[in-house]
Amino acid sequence: MSKPDDTKLIERCIEGDRQAFETLLIQYEKPVFNAAYRMLNNKEDASDVTQTVFLKVYENFDSFDPSRRFFSWVYRITLNESINVLGKQKRLEPLQHEPADDGKSPEQEVASAELSAEIQAALMTVKTDYRTVVILKHFLGCSYMEISEVLEIPEKTVKSRLYSARQMLKDALTRSGT
Amino acid sequence: MTIEQKYIDLINADIDGEIEHADKGGLDAFLAENEEGRAMHAELVTLCGSIEAIEAISPPPHLRHVIVNSVKPTPAKTESPGVLEMLFASPALKYSGTFAAGVLLTLSIVSSDQISNQAFDDITGLVGTISDPISGNLVNSIAVDNAQIAGKVSLRSTGSMLILDFDLVANRPVEIEAEYADRTIWFNGFAQLESSGTTISAKSGSVTLGMEGKRRYAVYLQNGGERSVTVNLRFVAGGEVVHEASLKYEPEE
Repeated sequence: MSKPDDTKLIERCIEGDRQAFETLLIQYEKPVFNAAYRMLNNKEDASDVTQTVFLKVYENFDSFDPSRRFFSWVYRITLNESINVLGKQKRLEPLQHEPADDGKSPEQEVASAELSAEIQAALMTVKTDYRTVVILKHFLGCSYMEISEVLEIPEKTVKSRLYSARQMLKDALTRSGT
Repeated sequence: MTIEQKYIDLINADIDGEIEHADKGGLDAFLAENEEGRAMHAELVTLCGSIEAIEAISPPPHLRHVIVNSVKPTPAKTESPGVLEMLFASPALKYSGTFAAGVLLTLSIVSSDQISNQAFDDITGLVGTISDPISGNLVNSIAVDNAQIAGKVSLRSTGSMLILDFDLVANRPVEIEAEYADRTIWFNGFAQLESSGTTISAKSGSVTLGMEGKRRYAVYLQNGGERSVTVNLRFVAGGEVVHEASLKYEPEE
């Protein structure tokens, strides 16, 4: 998950090397944006969260615990920032799905967008504690151990939440007729 | 018949590729003789396959520049956050809270002889007409992705008001000229999220803004005739044009 040279890049970032920061940004921008998007179901909010995450990372490099892996720190900030945004949104209006545009044929695009929309809609019905586990596992490709590290919960809890989340997703998709 | 929790866990672990070697044989034997177990395994394989088939979405192209241009040259030490940092930390913060400050700042910056229209002199009218600046409908927007300046400029409309909404980051002083050839369009106000940092001057047919760093601000144009309007934007850094774009408004029939 974490690239072996992340530690060196972080050391350079602490010394004020912007190029090193850009390298980390290039590596993690897409997963951070996608994690935020799957949490929030809104591209603008996901962009805002991505900006906030990297600004926080940059400003707090010197407090980064080198015994942890960089990805677990970044993903944890991402999920926490997304949860903060969700908390603010709860007072406003229901989330609306934004279809992704990924350059496929019209037929593929429709089928893929429908499936993506249905799964995303189902994901949004799952409580955030469970949604975070699904995002880390299926969208960011983390192992049980890595999820445990990001969320700072035991692996046993990771498994239990993941299995329950899948059941919730299955139920939501069944209710929607998928 | 229900499936024992032990086998539910094993089925999930198998799908995740995290089953212990020692447990794999036991699961296979269970699945070989349990139809319900096989059905559950198949359902979960389909579900997980569908989730993982969803392609990752690319972030907006300008986002990386926005982030890079937003960070300070060296990492900040343990200082308590200032007002601006707190504002930056809340991207969703609306303009309205700082609108009055924006209006006052504008009044202090824009000299009255630069304004060709009297609407701007009426402060009460200005505040009254722009009670909720963010609620304008999005007409269109452009992304700016340049080494000197990056971000987004959107054109919004509400009634006879057009709003140019700037969300930009510049790593050096940049001047932005917004030119609208139609002289019946009036500059009618300015608001910004930050309490300072953006300068503005207006004359008939154009507005010029100066900025550096991360800035969010809006320029209000009165389109009394509700006509088609094209706003031409020119971004100038170090005396050179670094980006040009246009935003167009077409009134609904």
